[in-house]
Amino acid sequence: MTPVHATFGEVAAERRIASVPLSHVSVELGHLYMEDFEAGPDRLREQFRRVAPWLATVRSLWRERVPGGRARVSTCFLVDDYFSRFSTPAELVPMVLEAAAEHDLSIDYLARESACAQSGGVELARLVEDRLVDDPPPETDGSRPPVKETGWLCNGSRSPRTAPLQAMGKARPWEPPAQNAKRGHSIFVDVELWDEKGPRRTWSCPFLAAVWQLLRLGLLRSEGRVPLPPVALDGGWPRDWDGLPAVVRLNPQAAPFSAYTTLSVLSPRFLPVELAVRTILSQVAVDDEVLRQVATRSESEGVRLEEELVDRISYVFV
Amino acid sequence: MLVIGEVHTGLLQNSGEISESTCRQVLGLMAGESVRVSRRPIVHALSPERLTGVDCALPAASRSRIRGVGTVVSRCAVTGGRVAQGSSYVRVVRSETDRRLPWSHYLSRPGVVEVLGKAKAADLAEGFTGDPAPGCLDLGAVSGRFLDLVQASPLLDRRAPFKIPRTSLRWVAETGEPSIRFTLHTEQERTLRLTHPGPFTPAVVDLCEDLATHDWLLTSLLVIVERARIGATPGAQAVARLAPAIDHLMHLWMPAARVEEWLTPFWESLERRPGFTRQWRSLVDRVRDQVAMNTLALLSATAEAGRR
Amino acid sequence: MLVFAISDKGGTGRSVTGTNIVYRHALQGNDVCYLDFDFGSPTAGAIFSVSAVARGTPENGLHEYLRGECPQPRRVDVWAESDREGLRTRPPGAGRLVLLPGSEGGGELSALTDEIVGRCVQLFGRLEEEFDLCMIDVSAGRSFTAELVLAATVRMPAVPFRWLVFHRWTRQHIIAADGLVAGADGLLDVGSRFGHDREDLRDRIRFVRTAVLEPDAAELVGLRDEQRAWLSACDSELRELAGRHGVGRTAMLGKIPLDPVLQWREQLITDEDVLASKIANAETAAAFDELAKKIVDDSAWEGL
Repeated sequence: MTPVHATFGEVAAERRIASVPLSHVSVELGHLYMEDFEAGPDRLREQFRRVAPWLATVRSLWRERVPGGRARVSTCFLVDDYFSRFSTPAELVPMVLEAAAEHDLSIDYLARESACAQSGGVELARLVEDRLVDDPPPETDGSRPPVKETGWLCNGSRSPRTAPLQAMGKARPWEPPAQNAKRGHSIFVDVELWDEKGPRRTWSCPFLAAVWQLLRLGLLRSEGRVPLPPVALDGGWPRDWDGLPAVVRLNPQAAPFSAYTTLSVLSPRFLPVELAVRTILSQVAVDDEVLRQVATRSESEGVRLEEELVDRISYVFV
Repeated sequence: MLVIGEVHTGLLQNSGEISESTCRQVLGLMAGESVRVSRRPIVHALSPERLTGVDCALPAASRSRIRGVGTVVSRCAVTGGRVAQGSSYVRVVRSETDRRLPWSHYLSRPGVVEVLGKAKAADLAEGFTGDPAPGCLDLGAVSGRFLDLVQASPLLDRRAPFKIPRTSLRWVAETGEPSIRFTLHTEQERTLRLTHPGPFTPAVVDLCEDLATHDWLLTSLLVIVERARIGATPGAQAVARLAPAIDHLMHLWMPAARVEEWLTPFWESLERRPGFTRQWRSLVDRVRDQVAMNTLALLSATAEAGRR
Repeated sequence: MLVFAISDKGGTGRSVTGTNIVYRHALQGNDVCYLDFDFGSPTAGAIFSVSAVARGTPENGLHEYLRGECPQPRRVDVWAESDREGLRTRPPGAGRLVLLPGSEGGGELSALTDEIVGRCVQLFGRLEEEFDLCMIDVSAGRSFTAELVLAATVRMPAVPFRWLVFHRWTRQHIIAADGLVAGADGLLDVGSRFGHDREDLRDRIRFVRTAVLEPDAAELVGLRDEQRAWLSACDSELRELAGRHGVGRTAMLGKIPLDPVLQWREQLITDEDVLASKIANAETAAAFDELAKKIVDDSAWEGL
C-alpha cells in the first residue's frame, strides 16, 4: 500500500482575519465638541466654509494619483458624546448636515466619539491599549519590563528618580528627560492615556483620537472581525445618543468609510492633541496580517502607500 | 541572517490540570485576539503574540559591539492544561542604514531586530548560545516575564502538586544544510542549534517549543524519580513520592505532536541520539514497576493478615 | 510557602535560627531557599559558611535586584559553595539548599516604589514555584522591608505565606514583640492598610522564643536553691506577661534553648556538632528539627 497523506485541521487552532473595503482617502470634515455646539450654527458654517476648498483639493490630487482618475474619497464627521453629552441626534444631526450643504459638502459618515472607547460589546480603546509597544530608549535589552508610568506614554525616557532608594545612599542629581529619536535636542512628549476615579476609567481625548484614526484606516480587528462597520439608519434620528449606531452611513452612494490614508481638517487649537495622537500611533503595533492585506490591495491597484502608519495620516490646520 | 529565541517551561501553578476554557482565559493576553487551541493529539493552547521593543547590544562571541533595534515577539502556551511556557524570538536582519530609524519603522516589521553596522551570523549564533554578556539582548528575561503572566493568573490556585524549577531552551535557527544540535548545560539550561532547508517560518518556533516541552517533562520526571530514592526508602514511601508523576506528567509525552511535516526529521534524529523517548520510556517503566511491586507487596501482606 | 522571619529587636538570634530551620527543612527532604532581606547587614552568608558572600555579594545581590540594577539576583548553592566540610556534600535524601545573598555594603530601603514591589512579587512568585520553603529574613523592627513584603503578599493572594516573630524570653522583648505585631503601625496595622485581612494575617503569625533557659535545664544543676526559685518565679511571671500580650503558648510555634554555639558563633548546627565534636546540645538541634516540621504543619497553625 502506498503511504496515505493525512491532513487534519482544527478551526479553533487557526486564525482568520476579515478584510475591509477601502477608499483612497478618508477626509474628516470636522469634530464637534460641546463648546462648538454652544457657539451656535455660525461656528459650524464657518468650519465648513474653511474645509470646502481643501476637500476639493484632496479630490483632485487623488484623481491625478489614481490610474483612471477613479479616486474613492469618503467624508466623515465626529461628534463628541464621550466627554460631555449635549443636545440629541434628532436635534443636532440635521443642523450639521444643513450647515455642510450650504457649502456643497456632503457628509458620508457620522460617528460618535464614545464608540472609540466602547461600543456594541467591543472595547476598541482596550484593544488599542493592548497593542501599544513602547518605543525603547537605547540600552533597552529586554532584561527588565519597560519603564511605565501607569496610564502614560512618552516618546523617550523620563527624568530618572533623584531620591535614593537606600538608607544612607547617595541622591542623584536631576537629569532631563530625553526623546529617543531626537535630532540634537529633545522634544519630549508624555501623553496621558487615561485616568481612573474609582472603578471608572476615562480615556483621554488624544487616545480616543488615535483609536479614531486607526478605525478610519481600517486597521483594527476584534476576534478577527471588522469592528463597528457603518450602518445605514432606518427611520428618523433617535432622541438619545446611545440609540445611534457607532458609525452611521448617511450617503448610500458613499465610497467605503475606511481608507488607505486619512486627512483631517482642523482648527490649529488641536495641534497639541494631534502631536499626542502621533506619539501614540507611532507606538501602536498593528496586526501583521491586517497590514499585509492593506499592502497587497493597494499594490494591486497601483497605489504606493507610505510604509509607516503615521505617514498615512495628514492634516490641514486652518 | 538568523533567528534566535528562548523558551522557558514550567509546571502550571495549579493543583490540577486546567480546562480548555480556563486556558483561553489564562492566555487571553490581548483584547480582541483569541487564544488558539488545538485538541489533537493533546490540548495545546497558544496565546496571541505580543511585542517588546529593544535597542541594545546583541550577544556576539567575539564580544564586538553590535547594536540591534527592533521588536521581540513573545507568546505563552499551555500544553495538556499542565505545562506552561513563555517563548520569545527575533529574526535578526541587516539594517539598510547605520542609524536608528523612527520607532514606527520597526513596528511595521514585528519580530525583526535590525543590526546597525556589521555583524556575522556565526558570531551572533555562537554568542547567543554561549555565555551572553550582561547588557546584551536578554530574550530569557522577556520569556520569563511572559511565563510569570500565566503563573500569576488569578484563575490558578497556586497549589501545584510538586515544586520543580523552570527550564530554559535558547535556540538559534539558520538556513542551510539540515542539522540539529541539542546541548544540556546546567541543570536548567539547554541550547539548540538548528539549520533548516528553506526560509524561516514560525513552524520552526513550534518545533523549538515542542522540544522544550518534552525536555522539561523528561527533566522533571528524572527529578521526581531521584527524589523518590527508590531502593533507599521503603517501597510505599517511594511510591507515594512517585505519585505526582503518575497523576500529572506521564500522559503528556507526545513528541512532535505539533511539528510540521518538513521539520519532523529533526525530531526523529534527536530520537536516535540521544533518544528522548527511549529515556522517557525507561523512566516510565521504572515508575510503573515500582507501583506494581508495591501493590504486590500490599496484596501479599493483606493475604498474610487474612490467613492469620 | 513563603516564611517571613522578623524580630522585635536586634540580637534575638533571628538569622541564626531562621537559617538553622531552613537547613533542617532541607535535611528533611525539601527544596528550600533563604533570602537575606536584612538589608542593613546582610550576613547570612557567614552563617552558611559561604565566605565568598559572608557580608553579602559584591554583585547581583538582592538589594541591586530590588532597585532594578540587575535582572536576576545571584543564587548560591550552599551544598556546593559552603566552606564547611560538613556542609559541602548534600546528604542523601536532602533537598536543595539555596541562599540568595544581600548586596555587600547595602543599606536599608529608604523608600518603597511600585517597581520595587513589582520586582519583589516576581521574585517570590518564581521562587515559590520551585522551592517547598522560602524563608525571607526581614530584619528587625519596623522597616520599609517589612512594608515591602506586606505589600508584595497582597498582590499574590493565592501564594501561601506565614510570619515568624523571634523574640527573647525577657520582659522587654515580650512587650516589644507584641508591639511589633499588634501595636500601632505594627504588622497587623500596616498589613490591613495594604489590603490584608487583619484576622487572616493574625492567623499567619507565630512567635518563636530564642535563647530560652528552662528552669529545669541541665545547665542549671549547679545553681543554688535560692537562684533556682528566683528563676522559676521570673519564668512564671514572664509566662503570665506573655499570655496577656498575645505572645503566650497558643501563639508560640516553638522555642530554642540557650546554646553556647549560637551565642558565640552564629552557625548552622549539624548533627556532627552534636554527635561527634559535641560542641552543640542535642536539644538545640532537636528544637530546630521540630520547628522545621511545624512550620509547614497546618495543625500548628490553626486559628487562635
